[in-house]
Amino acid sequence: MNYGRIVCFLLLSLLIIPAAHSADDNWELDKAHSNVYFSVDHIFSKVRGHFNDFSTDIVFNPEALDKSSFTFTIKVNYIDTNISKRDKHLLSADFFDAGKYPTMTFTSTSVTAGEGGVYNVTGKLTVKGKSYDSTLPLVLAGVKEHPAVPGTEVAGFNGKILIDRLSYGIGTGKFYEMGIVGKDVEVFVSLEVTRSK
Amino acid sequence: MDYLKRLIAVAIFLLALASALSLPYVYESQTLWYKFGFDKTTLRAGQLAGMLALTLLFTQIILAAGGSFLQKAFGLKNIMQWHRTNGVLIVFFACVHVFLILVPEGLANLPIGKKFWPEMVGSLLLWTLIAMVISSRYREKLNLDYKRWRAIHKPLGYLTVLLIVVHVLYVSDSFDHTVPKSILLVTFMALLVRVVWVKVQARIQQNKT
Repeated sequence: MNYGRIVCFLLLSLLIIPAAHSADDNWELDKAHSNVYFSVDHIFSKVRGHFNDFSTDIVFNPEALDKSSFTFTIKVNYIDTNISKRDKHLLSADFFDAGKYPTMTFTSTSVTAGEGGVYNVTGKLTVKGKSYDSTLPLVLAGVKEHPAVPGTEVAGFNGKILIDRLSYGIGTGKFYEMGIVGKDVEVFVSLEVTRSK
Repeated sequence: MDYLKRLIAVAIFLLALASALSLPYVYESQTLWYKFGFDKTTLRAGQLAGMLALTLLFTQIILAAGGSFLQKAFGLKNIMQWHRTNGVLIVFFACVHVFLILVPEGLANLPIGKKFWPEMVGSLLLWTLIAMVISSRYREKLNLDYKRWRAIHKPLGYLTVLLIVVHVLYVSDSFDHTVPKSILLVTFMALLVRVVWVKVQARIQQNKT
């Protein structure tokens, strides 16, 4: 009888321990100090904008990259280029078609370590209802005790990716062919994430 | 003499209308630069409908204020009849304006939120106009007391003019140019002066009798 209880306890412990481990590696987004922004050519100049509302689900442990994952959900409606009429045009069917596709998501399938603190986050980028394989190189800026919040760790990630918006269906190419809006978009991701120690 | 007055009144109206309708062509908005084919035609038609509504709304205030010049030229009965018809036309062109402006970028893509405040002012204006026309046309069916209705209708009328000026000045980059902005503001000031003048004249006349 006692042996049975011990075996049960050990089996339950095996189930609980990995879960507890992964829960520790969950990082919460510090929205006030995180950004997803972009830059695209307009004839001769560059237009910059950002997405004001996005969420993340980050599990990260440099010692257990196989258990690490990154998920980003971006609310397209919150695009902001500082000109409301341009934002509205970007939300139209000419670009994001936000009425039909209100979010863009990135869900990682693997995280691998590169050189110089780079972590290559490979996954599926879903834009306008279609998924594409994509790799986001994120540089781990550091992990340390939060200077303002005792008992909390803060980590920083910065990444940059160049995407061809036309291959993701963001625009038909009409504005690109006319020499108005470039097709290559630089996307910058800058994150601060926290967790309790 | 009355014929000349009529001619002057009609000429001023036609001049104002022509100026307003030429504006989307002479001072093309940047939004039009990035629209092509059917979308461009729809957007421009929407802008024209908006300018038409603006002209009719300014005219509406002149008709409502009345004054001896207009009354002698056209007669009070005709002025009031035009005022009623004009109200319906304003709402019609305002609705056409909203629909045609929104269609090119999708009806699901509505300009709602703080950053679209000039569009929201336009929306408030449209609902105010609709409420005014409905309450005027169906006042008896709605059991609205004439005095109370008039006490609300008049200030709302002045409010609509203020709202349309704010809406037009801030919603359209055509009005970033000095000439259209000046024309709009001068016309608005002239409208105010006209209303005040008519009211003062009426008060003086009242005191005499």
